[in-house]
Amino acid sequence: MSQSLVNAIIAMREEDALKITKELIEQGTDPFEVLATCGTAMETIGDRFEKGEAFIPELILAGEMLKQITDFLKPLLGDGKQAGDALGTFVLGTVEGDIHDIAKDIVAFVLEINGFNVVDLGVDVPPAKFVETVKETGAKIVGLSGFLTMAYEPMKLTVEALKDAGLDDVKVIIGGGQVDDQIREYTGADAFGTDAMTAVKYAKQWN
Amino acid sequence: MTENTPTFTPSPEFLAREKRFNDAVSLTKPDRVPIVSLAGVFIPRYMGMTSAEALYDYERMNQAWKDAMVKLNWDMAPLAFVVFPGPVMELLGLKTFKWPGFDLGENATYQFVEDEYMLADEYDEFLADPGDFTIRKLMPRMSKTLEPLGMLPPINWFSSGYTILNLGAMLAGVPPISNMLETLVKVGQEMTKFTTGQAKMVGELAEMGYPTLASAFTEAPFDWISDMFRGMKGVMLDMYRCPDKLKAAIDVMTPFCIQSALMVAQQTGNKRIFIPLHRGSAGFMSDEQYAEFYWPSLKKVFMALIEAGLTPMPFLEGDYTPRLKYLAELPPGKVLGHFDIVDKQKVKEILGDTMCFWGNVPAQLLVTGTTEQVKDYVKELIDIFGDNGGLIVDGAVDGIPPESKPENVEAMTEAVFEYGVY
Repeated sequence: MSQSLVNAIIAMREEDALKITKELIEQGTDPFEVLATCGTAMETIGDRFEKGEAFIPELILAGEMLKQITDFLKPLLGDGKQAGDALGTFVLGTVEGDIHDIAKDIVAFVLEINGFNVVDLGVDVPPAKFVETVKETGAKIVGLSGFLTMAYEPMKLTVEALKDAGLDDVKVIIGGGQVDDQIREYTGADAFGTDAMTAVKYAKQWN
Repeated sequence: MTENTPTFTPSPEFLAREKRFNDAVSLTKPDRVPIVSLAGVFIPRYMGMTSAEALYDYERMNQAWKDAMVKLNWDMAPLAFVVFPGPVMELLGLKTFKWPGFDLGENATYQFVEDEYMLADEYDEFLADPGDFTIRKLMPRMSKTLEPLGMLPPINWFSSGYTILNLGAMLAGVPPISNMLETLVKVGQEMTKFTTGQAKMVGELAEMGYPTLASAFTEAPFDWISDMFRGMKGVMLDMYRCPDKLKAAIDVMTPFCIQSALMVAQQTGNKRIFIPLHRGSAGFMSDEQYAEFYWPSLKKVFMALIEAGLTPMPFLEGDYTPRLKYLAELPPGKVLGHFDIVDKQKVKEILGDTMCFWGNVPAQLLVTGTTEQVKDYVKELIDIFGDNGGLIVDGAVDGIPPESKPENVEAMTEAVFEYGVY
């Protein structure tokens, strides 16, 4: 594994990270190994985020670096699958009537770097869309995001819609700055979170 | 002082309410803990209107404001100009908002559409000529009606009588531009209807004995660039990719953030300035990044408003606990901090001698809790902050959520009158 690539990504040296990737490929390194190296760096950034040592700018820039590196590597990867299968499928969206996507995108990102397959339905997602997607994907975990207090009601309706569709075994976590255990109870969700790492914690527990 | 009523003579009740508020802000014990809310759409909803009606029926909305004050008897009426006029936004074809009665459900909350209205590679263009960039690039991107502004040549081309005549007059006759000008006349007429109504409402509230909290708002310069220009993702990448340009843009907008607030304060006579803060709270960035990118320009805004004799009222949205030490740099008794989620004991410890605490009955309690829970929370606030008078009670996030149970808001109010007498 290239420690210099890990270091460049962790230190947010974007240009270096790309330069080192290109050098590694020129030197004949297996592109899958380069990807795995990126994965190691992303895990470290995830850990730092969890500990409050890295913040949103670092998550966003790390995501951008990863995207540029995978774009560069893609033609070299052929049809081969990435090493390791996804942990499980997580259906995620901001509930109906709420168009805020920032927190949801961060949750999607940290779930992905932790190995989950995330189906992101975007914002203003009606309950029926969550139900339909869970049925299609067979996902066992749903994340409902909402920034506004207005989101409490559609969160509740979505939990009810999942139950009405007979999807009782699907676990639901609600997330956002204005949720707590009282709102979890109100909506009938299984868990709540006010930061992205809580979603990862429950997803791993439920997986 | 109130708006557009030069002959207004304040009643003893009006003066008593102002004094109660001002005492709390200056950390002097008033006769009772004041209760003043940022509540926006809660007010018309409480009075039986939908959110959509509140944005479209100015008359009923203004009446709701007055009726709610009679019913709740707070110390000040909530912010004026906080429920935006739907018809004006429609005429402007604003792409920066979605709102109930137009493209959201009738009881949805109006929401800001964050986007990269300025692209990363456009900093140089903006910095070279902010006015030109605003007119020809930003305004067309933000408003469908103003899209024809993108057809204009550089604005400094109009710097002579010859070009005003030959170029300007000619452009005024080009159909997209003349249509835009016609629409803008309607925008102006509609907006006048709205602002006249608001000014009348503020005047009538004053006659009833209720000062209005504020008519002006401004933002932290960092937030202005993040919210209005670059979006969160954009600005956070800029912190790494082009920090100097980001800082230069913040410097360009800092005088605007100060002067726009001074201008409205002068026009209305209302010295209280609302400052909703967005991207500086815990989790968004590190303390070092806050100190480097966020705080210096915000502090300039605070200090300039204080020097002008105004009262800045930041809404410290999110968890502001790690930033309390910066707020402690501000002069005592001059700033009113509206708190959302925060470690209250830490606020008392770090800011107790600096800043009056305003808030923070949680939205969760107001929407789904019981009246007992709400009253207990108010009691706790009074226990923590009451000793030096530095407390004003309100809900936490944006005041009172529109979905709050009326009985919980009434319980919050009763608790202040019951337990808040010093």
